[in-house]
Amino acid sequence: MKAHDWFIEHRTDYAARALESDDEGLFRDHLARCAECRAAIAELERDLAWLPMGVAPVPVRPWFTRSVVERILQSRWRRRWVWPAVAAAAVVVAVGIWQRDQTRIAALVQELGARDAQLAATRDTLVAALGTDRVLQTSIELNGKRGGMLILADEATHRWKVVVHGIPAAREGERYTFWFITADGMVRGAEVICDELRPAVLMLDMPPGARFVKGGSLTIEPKTGDLSVPRGRELAHLEL
Amino acid sequence: MIDPIQRSSRPRLLSDQREDELRARLASRDERALAELVEVLSPWLLGIAQSMLQDPDEAEEVVLETFRIAWDRVPAPDEGPRGLIPWILQIARNRSVDRLRSRRRRLRLVERLTPVEESVAAAVEPDEAAHPGWHVHASVHHALSELPEEQRRVVRLAYFEGHTHSEIAARLEIPLGTAKTRLRLGLDRLRASLAPLKDWVL
Repeated sequence: MKAHDWFIEHRTDYAARALESDDEGLFRDHLARCAECRAAIAELERDLAWLPMGVAPVPVRPWFTRSVVERILQSRWRRRWVWPAVAAAAVVVAVGIWQRDQTRIAALVQELGARDAQLAATRDTLVAALGTDRVLQTSIELNGKRGGMLILADEATHRWKVVVHGIPAAREGERYTFWFITADGMVRGAEVICDELRPAVLMLDMPPGARFVKGGSLTIEPKTGDLSVPRGRELAHLEL
Repeated sequence: MIDPIQRSSRPRLLSDQREDELRARLASRDERALAELVEVLSPWLLGIAQSMLQDPDEAEEVVLETFRIAWDRVPAPDEGPRGLIPWILQIARNRSVDRLRSRRRRLRLVERLTPVEESVAAAVEPDEAAHPGWHVHASVHHALSELPEEQRRVVRLAYFEGHTHSEIAARLEIPLGTAKTRLRLGLDRLRASLAPLKDWVL
């Protein structure tokens, strides 16, 4: 007897639900795979569709039918409102969490940016200090004050750290200017804003296009007029 | 005796058109359609569940479950099998069998069912005959009465009381093979007898 023959033999028993529980489960699994048996069972069930009507009807209690309808519809309404409410609450919570996270992320990004800038500045300082190949220094006498200018030259990165200290703030209509001394002449570096109390520190790249930079100079320039060439008094002059 | 199946002039519970309309209304969540269905079918479903479970409260729970399943899963007229009422009857029967077996497994209850002949073979009384669907019951009842007694008993135990082969064999004190054979012969005969009812749609 082939395995399938057993299922053919027990089709009627399955349709009548007379099989033992284990066999019924086995048959149900088989039906999922066997189109022939599915069709045969469907035919059997169609033929016997009205057989349950062999049982006489039982009079229902008063209000029973109304109670059945109400209970079904109540559960429907309950489901209809509960699930959208749950979904809406979930959306509100999710949006709240998302907004809180976005705010936190924005704050963290801002803080990270500030720390990055701080780190870059620290790195610059460290590179300039630790990578210094040459140190040039000179003193400055101005208006009875004694200060100085220091150049820390990093030849690997071609960056200079320039420190000017001990000289008073520039007078009205004047400004301090640092110049690079190059093979082609003086090239403007940057304005130096001085304060007697604390040193002015500049981190300068080499002037673009300039040939051989030989040193640096600090001058007092008038605020107006041509800024590309030094016209004022030279306070300090350092050459490599 | 007049064979009820042969009475072609007997009105149907629902015409094809009415069934399609009812299914469409149920599928579109028409609450009045649900109320109509519950009104017509409750006595029959209660009869099925009560004859199997022999417990009026549990039978009412089965009826409620059945309508709830029907309401949730009713296929549209162009989907699923034809025959809305047979589909619902089958749900009620299956739910009853499931409960019965669960109960038997759980409590190992001694059979306390009364002979089903009382409910299945209920006599047709004039006021009952006016009940919607009674003519279908009369037809099935007639088909059952045509079976040889030994087959009818096995069919009733299996189909209307939810017993398995081995339970039937033990109850009737007959060999297992005999119980199987009688059930198959009885159901085969019923298939032939009830064939004209196949096209009766509600």
